[in-house]
Amino acid sequence: MTLHFVDYLILALYFAFVIGIGYLLKRKISTSADFLTSNRSVPLWITSLAFVATNLGAQELVGMCASGAKYGIMTSHFYWVGAIPAMLFVGLFMMPFYYGSKARSVPEYLKLRYDEKTRAFNALTFAVMTIFSSGISMYALGLLFQLVLGWSFTASVLLSAAIVLAYTFFGGLTSAIYNEVLQFFLIVCGFAPLAFFAVHRAGGWAGIVERVQHPQFGDAWVHSWKYAANPSANPMGVEVFGIIMGLGFVLSFGYWCTNYLVVQRAMAADTMAAARLTPIVGAFPKMLLPFIVIVPGIAALALTNDPSIAYHLPPKGSSYDYDQAITTLMAQFYPSGMLGIGLTALMASFMSGMAGNVTAFNTVWTYDIYQSYIRKDAPDSHYLWVGRATTVVGTLLSIGAAYLATLYNNIMDLLQLVFGFVNAPLFATFLLGMFWKRTTGHGAFTGLLAGTGAAALTHGLTLAEGKGAWIAQLHEFPSVMAQNFWIAIFAWTTCFAVTILVSLATRPRPVAELKGLVYGVTEIPRPEENVPWYLRPAPLSIAAGVACVLLNVIFW
Amino acid sequence: MWDLRTPSGILFTIYGALLTAFGLLSPETRAPLAEYNVNLWSGFLFLIFGVTMLWMSRRAT
Repeated sequence: MTLHFVDYLILALYFAFVIGIGYLLKRKISTSADFLTSNRSVPLWITSLAFVATNLGAQELVGMCASGAKYGIMTSHFYWVGAIPAMLFVGLFMMPFYYGSKARSVPEYLKLRYDEKTRAFNALTFAVMTIFSSGISMYALGLLFQLVLGWSFTASVLLSAAIVLAYTFFGGLTSAIYNEVLQFFLIVCGFAPLAFFAVHRAGGWAGIVERVQHPQFGDAWVHSWKYAANPSANPMGVEVFGIIMGLGFVLSFGYWCTNYLVVQRAMAADTMAAARLTPIVGAFPKMLLPFIVIVPGIAALALTNDPSIAYHLPPKGSSYDYDQAITTLMAQFYPSGMLGIGLTALMASFMSGMAGNVTAFNTVWTYDIYQSYIRKDAPDSHYLWVGRATTVVGTLLSIGAAYLATLYNNIMDLLQLVFGFVNAPLFATFLLGMFWKRTTGHGAFTGLLAGTGAAALTHGLTLAEGKGAWIAQLHEFPSVMAQNFWIAIFAWTTCFAVTILVSLATRPRPVAELKGLVYGVTEIPRPEENVPWYLRPAPLSIAAGVACVLLNVIFW
Repeated sequence: MWDLRTPSGILFTIYGALLTAFGLLSPETRAPLAEYNVNLWSGFLFLIFGVTMLWMSRRAT
């Protein structure tokens, strides 16, 4: 793939814009709250799109397109079973506690609800996880640009990290959120035409169905549920229970409901009503994303299978190098000019993922670690300074993590593995904390430790595609994905059970202290009289839920 | 709060104009598998998107 002057011009214009936005927002930053939490002042449509965009990193675009080619439309479970129900749940049921508690971060909510040690545990694991996520994202981009454009891995990693650093350093969270929305537009505008051209060339959906017949799995690439009864009948190697409980319930709820990276976007909204609507409104664009990120991957496989079309997924061993699906499609369908837009969109997706991690890391480090344990009573200007300095440190650590990530080859699997260790048990802690007032701090902390331990233990005792079983091999899963789903299920169940048992054995907190933090002792705000019914959380959620069920049925 | 529609509108209007001009001036710039003048059509759509954004942000003030 070769770039011309016009492509570089498009890329350069984009860089100028993101840094410009950061610079313009710099004037609005005068306190640590402005820098780290946007001081709760961002309008709804912006927080909603940012909520979706911050998750739309390079690994999502490249990985989802790769999974589309590798597993087919079953990949849509990550959206239509995973993300959407969880996003509706966090908006309807959890946001009142996050936003209403006046906590500045998710770990701080844990401090208010439980105790210091639970917060410390969450803040530390979260800090490590954000660094890894952003490192993986950076690695994905560096590798891709090296492969496709011949750019040096180090140069593309450093250049993009420097730009993210520049705009988050100037404008903090607001700058990250504003740029995420710009990046969202760019990603949609840059990739929707690609999906259209690739599907059109493959003969529409009917042409794809005809071309993706597999000797072993039949037409499994174009059905999301038809082959899910038996793990050996579908290319993903997963079954209904693993999909619904592991991916749909534990992993997705764990990610969308407790991961401060996304929750932070909703907490930056200007009112409680807007905070609740943020994930619910975001669910609508989110459920359409598979058409832009997964469907081109399936089209790539269809085009490869048709000998009359001069497109082939690059081979890798006895299979294909799926991670190159999106870029090879771009090279075949985008001429110079639009190619620049496509690459800019890839760069943008990478940046939105990385900026999300860096800003979340910033807030957790500054408020939950530095202000809580290192220096308590400093003037606010000191914490603003620490926040800015943390941006630099976080970026440098991410670059280190990017080089570490080169040890693993499949990006999505590694991410899922990390989430299984961290987010899966956490969802049990939040669920019990928000909806059962008897849950105690000791219970939560022991449960979290036990859940994380159970995750590590499950990984150590089971084997999948040659990975895991570093203790002993008790069971073998048909795929790493199945293994991840089950790690999550074991981690969640262990945390849930241990938290309940230990809570019952320890002294509960007085109910008066739990006001605003737990269901039943908190006043849930009712939508104002002047808000039309179709803009209230419940009707919007029902609409999103119905649309999501329809999508599952259509691609059954 | 500062209106994000303005910078988004400006960026997409510039991109749209750039691609449309490129598509018109150099219609022979084609990708191997593309059957259309991708730059012209995408540029045109970008232009509409950008101008709509700008129009919405002007109307709001």
